[in-house]
Amino acid sequence: MSTSTIIISINIFLVVLLAVGIAPILIWWERRVAGFIQDRTGPNRCNIGGIRLGGLIQSLADMLKLFFKEDFLPSHIKYKFFFTLAPILVFFCSFLTFAVIPFANDIIIDGKSYMMQAIPTKLGILWFLAFAGITVYGIILGGYASANKYALLGSIRASAQVVSYEAAMGLSIISMVITYGSIHLNDMVIYQDSLIFGFIPAWGIIIQPIAAIIFIITAFAEANRAPFDIAEGESEIVAGYHTEYSAMRFGLFQVGEYAAMSALSAIIVTILLGGYTIPFIPQDTIQSNIYIVLFIVAIIVPIKAFFLTKWIKRNNNWIDKNDPRSKETKKLVKFFWITSILISSLLILLFIIGLSTNGINILTAIIQITVFLIKFFLVTLFFIWIRWTLLRFRYDQLQMLGWKILLPLSILNIFITSLIVVIKGL
Amino acid sequence: MGIKRIKRDQHSIKDKLYLPAIATGMITTFKHFFKNLKNTSNIKTLQYPEEQPTDITDKYRGVHRLTKREDESIKCVACYMCSTACPADCIDIEAIERTDGQDEKMPKKFSIDLLECIYCGYCVEACPCDAIRMDTGIFSFIGDKREDFIVDKDYLLNNIRSKDFDDK
Repeated sequence: MSTSTIIISINIFLVVLLAVGIAPILIWWERRVAGFIQDRTGPNRCNIGGIRLGGLIQSLADMLKLFFKEDFLPSHIKYKFFFTLAPILVFFCSFLTFAVIPFANDIIIDGKSYMMQAIPTKLGILWFLAFAGITVYGIILGGYASANKYALLGSIRASAQVVSYEAAMGLSIISMVITYGSIHLNDMVIYQDSLIFGFIPAWGIIIQPIAAIIFIITAFAEANRAPFDIAEGESEIVAGYHTEYSAMRFGLFQVGEYAAMSALSAIIVTILLGGYTIPFIPQDTIQSNIYIVLFIVAIIVPIKAFFLTKWIKRNNNWIDKNDPRSKETKKLVKFFWITSILISSLLILLFIIGLSTNGINILTAIIQITVFLIKFFLVTLFFIWIRWTLLRFRYDQLQMLGWKILLPLSILNIFITSLIVVIKGL
Repeated sequence: MGIKRIKRDQHSIKDKLYLPAIATGMITTFKHFFKNLKNTSNIKTLQYPEEQPTDITDKYRGVHRLTKREDESIKCVACYMCSTACPADCIDIEAIERTDGQDEKMPKKFSIDLLECIYCGYCVEACPCDAIRMDTGIFSFIGDKREDFIVDKDYLLNNIRSKDFDDK
């Protein structure tokens, strides 16, 4: 296997992990965070041999149930092919969006540079816009092929919403492209690695606040999530476009919804929150001081494990002492301590042995991927947090916001941005 | 007639901008989230099968019981008042002649179908002898098949007043 094959397969693995593997985790997280926000617990009982992982096993059980459920197809549906195609379309478009996300800076191995993307292309933001646009076709197709009034209404709402919000989204992206001077996502991230006035990180959200707000709002509309989830407004139109779906077809819709959410989170992290970069610490600093970084991480990991296990001991308990679930805390504490000590000792071993140039580059990439993942999870938490705070927009309010506020504002923002760019260029 | 213009709320720029209000709401939800994440014991959720409810008062209508006289014989005189009053028609009584000299009649069979019972308490109010009560505090009755839910005279006689209720 050549180096490029290995790097691309690592990236594809990351994409599959973030788009598909993350769905059960996000569903679990959504339910737990919703529970905590509303002062209840959320799922916490399901276990395998006493291991509950704070309720994560519940998601696995739900997935298992969806797999083995009868794949029911209502007899009134004429276009069975399109009915089946719809959830696949929704899922794959969100999945493919991930292909252009840079998880780390271009990695240099034996003097050759490789892109840390699943598809090494420089199309970047155009690829994202193309597939974000197609995602809604899946929803429209699903609603139309269902031959059901509620489903059709849901898909019509979705298409109207996407028509009015995609325009504002595209225009807000244009102003960002003007600022960054590139459509390649990695170039955008490298731009954000610099500092403005010497002390503020030049993140998209700081240098383009209006475009950032518009983009975040339209991203919520694009992902069909609250407060813009009128496509499945269960109080009015049953379940919207997936009324007729059940079993794994519905499961694919649900995974697609979460894949869309995580794809948009990744895009937000990349173009607004500095991607894989750490604020105030540019990549050169990490690479030249790699041993100090190693040492700091080796100290931080056991401290983190200490606080985590302390939190587990306080909060993860079970009243009935005979139940295997009451022994979970001990096992988890042991597991986290062993893992953290292993990681620390590995890092100290590297510290002692020393690293080659390739090793330093790979380690930097790993640090950058970790930073990207931390930012990514915080943004998905933001998505969930918004969902459980805000109410659904009424349909006319939604169109009013899209056409009368966001669109003029984004056009105005393009003017201001171009003006500043031109003046700076003079 | 003069026109009186009423100044409406929510027309300042801050209100029209929406974002400050959204931020306030998000701070509120985050406070709840963080409080509960930091210490899950603050959550009021009852972990049911392990934790039993403590807020059942003596007015709670649970599974029925038949009361006894001081000499441990059944108080019921099989007058059919309860089964007549029962709107769900779930009480089934067969009477026989009483031989212990206390009264004229007593039930040979006294069964209640708990699946049909709506726990309205009319039988308790209809009873002239205070022979049937619903103060056991049993709120959960489990069975494998429908027949398990038809409880007979022995079961009802063995039920006692809930120990959680303060005796008067």
